[in-house]
Amino acid sequence: MMPPSTARRLCFLSLLLLLLLLAAAASATADAAAAEEFTEELLLRPLPDRKALAHFHFRSSAPPASAAGRHHHLFPKAISQLVQKFHISELELSFTQGRWNYEQWGGYDPMSTNNAKPPGVELWAIFDLPLAEIDATWKNLTHTLSGLFCASINFLESSTAFSAPRWGFKLNEGNLRYGALPREAVCTENLTPWLKLLPCRDKAGIASLLYRPSVYKGYYHSQKLKLKSSQSLGIILDQTLTVVLQPNTVSGKQLHSTGGQLQPSWSMEHLFSKKLSGKCLVSKSSRVFVEIEKGIVDNVDKAGSDVSSNNDLFVLSTAPDRSLKELDNLEVQSSSLYEYDVNNYNSDKPLNVGITWKLPLIWSCTRAPYHASRFLMGSGNERGSIAMSFLSTGLDKQLVDSSNDCSIKAVVFQVVPWYVKVYYHSLEVFIDGNSKAISEVVDKIHVTPSEDKLLPGTMEMLLKFPCSMQLATLTLDFDKGFLHIDEYPPDANQGFDIPSALVSFPEFNSSRSYPEADPLFVSPLLENFKEDGVVKSYTEVLLVPLTTPDFSMPYNVITFTCTVLALYFGSLLNALRRRIGEEERGLKKAGILNKRGLIPLLIAKLRGQKVDPSESESTSPASLPRSKLLLKVVFVAVVAIVFHYLSNS
Amino acid sequence: MAEIAGDETPPLPSSSGAEESSLLSSPPSPTAISGDEPPPRTRKPGTKRLVLTASVLLSFLVGLPLLLKSTEIHRSPLPSDAIADLSRRLQSHPPSFPCGLHAVFLRSGPGSPVASLADQLERAISTQHHLLPASSTAGNISVSVTIQSGGGCTSSTAAASPWRCGLLTAADSVRDDEVFDELLHSALGGRDGDGMKVYTIVIAEDDDGKGTRVVIGKHRHAWVVGKVDEAEALSLIGNVFIKYFMNGGIEEGETGIGKGEFMPVGSDGNVVLSFSLLNADPNDWVYDWEFKNIGERILTPVVEALRPVADINIESQVLYHTPKSSYSYSDDKLGGNVLSMGDIPFFVNSNEWHLDTSISATGRSKVLQFVVYIPSARECPLYLQLPDGELSKTNAFISPMWGGVVIWNPPGCSVGSKKAHGTRRQMSSQELMETLEIFIGQLRQLFGLKPNYHAQGMDVATKFLVSEKGFAQWELDLLYRHHACSNLLSCVATLESLSSLVQSLPRMIVMDEIGRQVCSSTTLAEWIVHGHLLQYFFIYFSATVFDSE
Repeated sequence: MMPPSTARRLCFLSLLLLLLLLAAAASATADAAAAEEFTEELLLRPLPDRKALAHFHFRSSAPPASAAGRHHHLFPKAISQLVQKFHISELELSFTQGRWNYEQWGGYDPMSTNNAKPPGVELWAIFDLPLAEIDATWKNLTHTLSGLFCASINFLESSTAFSAPRWGFKLNEGNLRYGALPREAVCTENLTPWLKLLPCRDKAGIASLLYRPSVYKGYYHSQKLKLKSSQSLGIILDQTLTVVLQPNTVSGKQLHSTGGQLQPSWSMEHLFSKKLSGKCLVSKSSRVFVEIEKGIVDNVDKAGSDVSSNNDLFVLSTAPDRSLKELDNLEVQSSSLYEYDVNNYNSDKPLNVGITWKLPLIWSCTRAPYHASRFLMGSGNERGSIAMSFLSTGLDKQLVDSSNDCSIKAVVFQVVPWYVKVYYHSLEVFIDGNSKAISEVVDKIHVTPSEDKLLPGTMEMLLKFPCSMQLATLTLDFDKGFLHIDEYPPDANQGFDIPSALVSFPEFNSSRSYPEADPLFVSPLLENFKEDGVVKSYTEVLLVPLTTPDFSMPYNVITFTCTVLALYFGSLLNALRRRIGEEERGLKKAGILNKRGLIPLLIAKLRGQKVDPSESESTSPASLPRSKLLLKVVFVAVVAIVFHYLSNS
Repeated sequence: MAEIAGDETPPLPSSSGAEESSLLSSPPSPTAISGDEPPPRTRKPGTKRLVLTASVLLSFLVGLPLLLKSTEIHRSPLPSDAIADLSRRLQSHPPSFPCGLHAVFLRSGPGSPVASLADQLERAISTQHHLLPASSTAGNISVSVTIQSGGGCTSSTAAASPWRCGLLTAADSVRDDEVFDELLHSALGGRDGDGMKVYTIVIAEDDDGKGTRVVIGKHRHAWVVGKVDEAEALSLIGNVFIKYFMNGGIEEGETGIGKGEFMPVGSDGNVVLSFSLLNADPNDWVYDWEFKNIGERILTPVVEALRPVADINIESQVLYHTPKSSYSYSDDKLGGNVLSMGDIPFFVNSNEWHLDTSISATGRSKVLQFVVYIPSARECPLYLQLPDGELSKTNAFISPMWGGVVIWNPPGCSVGSKKAHGTRRQMSSQELMETLEIFIGQLRQLFGLKPNYHAQGMDVATKFLVSEKGFAQWELDLLYRHHACSNLLSCVATLESLSSLVQSLPRMIVMDEIGRQVCSSTTLAEWIVHGHLLQYFFIYFSATVFDSE
């Protein structure tokens, strides 16, 4: 009897324990979920071409709650309401000025993969809605964002401006919409509303470094807003700002002279004209990272010294609080990170991290397997072709063993406005200069042809290049369409921009890992770096000149029509009213018929009237009118001279 | 003509003038032309020329309508006569609502009251209503009187309100006011007569020697306790009814409801109350609040009470680094920093206070901002000084149609208080509740009611019971009436101005859609003015929603 009862008791106890544990866990998650959080981070990195990269990362997160969109402490209310109203599960909006230099600034790291964006505005969103409602919601969303960010995002409303890629951009179930405005100018008026979403704006914390003149003087500037929302996680808002700046140092002025220093030594103050004096008080963590790229790390290793903050090649002006090793997806050390906790600095002791080079150093960054670029061919205003070239960077030689049947995949996603009518059947592929059958190279293709004034043309293409390939070129022919006179933008003669195409290499992953970081160390910036990141690169924006009409044409038409009408009515009435025969007789009577002007003579001739030669030959009566005429001319000349004299005096 | 002239044979134009009439009758002979000179014209021109000239003119005239048609502007016809008529009618007969006044006399003495007395009192009260000011929204008032004494009840013939006889006696009036209020509510059955609001004033005779006092309850009733004679009772009834139930205690010359003030309600009937906690300088202290629980709990009854007037949404947020934009000066005598009334217009710092307009406030909804301002350590404590030199009791002010601001000095802040460097604290629930009470008072004011009543003009002590909803039932009635009236007036004003605008601009395009909306809203407004749709009075008219797009 006893054993069963003890067993039952045990069972009961264990159940109780389990319940308790569950309750504790639930309360713990409730506690953890109750708070909204904000973190701010900044990553600085010297670039090989004497510039410096600064990447600001702010994360605000709101737990899933019934009061979402209504009651907030740190999370911006506007964003929460936006997510609620438009049922957004993911959204990314970027404003970019300048073009990311994939050759010099890197093409195979999380920064270029996730934060290099095409010029202008790019917006994509995934909706948590039935497919039929998505287009209408997208239109409302563009208008809301346009108001929120003080930009012309509302131009993405028209169905000719956005597309719904299925797999070329991001794998989805048809609930993704993508739109880009390549010509949108980005400036402070877009940055200010973006900063308003941060609890401290630019009044305190890392964002206070954003001194506008230095930020907008940079070579590349991309501000991004990324939203993720789900029932379980709540809303996570990542705001990033990536800028490439020229350090404003004295030695920086001699950069272009060959005798100068190869790399300028710089600090935060040189980049932003400001020092960092403390964190935003409501932020959970506030960190600054300095990233030293693989190229430099390898050089330091070669020099035989340890990669610390003070080694044979460079020295960091402030000793870091922590240093981390970064491994790429092949578990090879790629770069080292030095971390500074802004908590330890205040206005009395501001943080001014800098790097000073001890030896001149040349290094290069890691590049994507192919350098993709896009250009136009052909001339004239009628037709042309788009060409896309893939130039091998030699990376694949290191990564992939060059066996015969090895291949590298590349996905191309390109949206073309309807007035550039692409003939997709004219796709031609050249590999190392030789024309290839499309089936050899193109693995999968999905094309949505454009419809006039209704749909843009979308092309998603999975390509397979042989590993040994040096250069691949794709060409597509197109005809240029005609727009209605109202549809031309101001300054239509400048040409029309075709948004950047996106090339991604699904077999290459730029994610990083940090084996030495302790598990309690949570950094949203590094979390983003850890995320699965397929190597991507955007091509150039194309500028297509279109035939522009003579915009003054309507006025010309009006004037011509009016002239013709006036001529018609005038001559008709003239012909009806005038009695030429009588006039002639009258003139004959006066004997001055022979002095008819050229035009009446011509008319008379046209009418078949005989001009009496004898009349015109009689010269004696004509001498008097001739002297009259002379008198008239003299009179007019005198009047003119008098007038001239009077007006001058 | 040139072609004709080309083949030599036809008549020459030079001669045609002379032989016009002969041309009509017989073809001209070539000999007549080539030969000697034709005779000068002696006759008047014939009809042929006239016909030709007329045909040219005619062709031009035929083209004229085409030209006019091509430059025509589409103007949808607007019912401008009906609109003018409507506005005239509204001016001569302002919209009014029927309501009832029920006077109940509770007599302690035994014996059944005389039936004729009730009718007599009814007539006496009715005569007083000529005192009603013209601006009042109350229309025909039906008066009824019930007299209850120990022996039973007598009602006047027109008694509209059910009075449960004997449920309440004059002796009950000595009880607690709150309790008596509820008793009265139950005695009156707690419901209205058919669609008509009936206000009850109970005269409870009671000579406990404390004197006469008037209590105005939370529902649609008030009572008078004390020893009052008939004439005094009648004047009290008239006073209470007109002054409070009909006019909300607003005197002539005061601003408030019904005095040209608009209610802060969007034309789609939505109001967003946006509560913001502003930390002027988080370097000194950071305060947070538990608005979600406490705020919702306190404000939900208010929102429910106001639902017939407006659909209210509540939002809250906490903002940081939001200094005020006006100066305050330190006053040692008052022990703090003082902000004078003159600086208040510059207090709201629109550069730094990004009190977002809400996305949920779509279209034409109204957003009312309620701001709790926490001063920085440097300017703490911060007080508002009234023009008479006194400090404001609530330390708060309102801005009509915008919202209200409360300056909340955190506990333990005094001149020279040390910076509690960046500490994060929570506003205690008690403090939050007090702040919210001030906000409810501000909301009443924004809606045009008095924040609190003084018994001005009443020669007896008057007490007002405060509802937990923030608005008493009779105050809500006042709001409904006023809201309906102002909606109707603004609708007609919009229609009128639109119609006069369209008339004054003959080249203005009027779309069909606009014309249709104007027609439908005019019809609707006409119905309402004629009283056909009284029960739908709170419909919002589409007319107020559009302007000439």
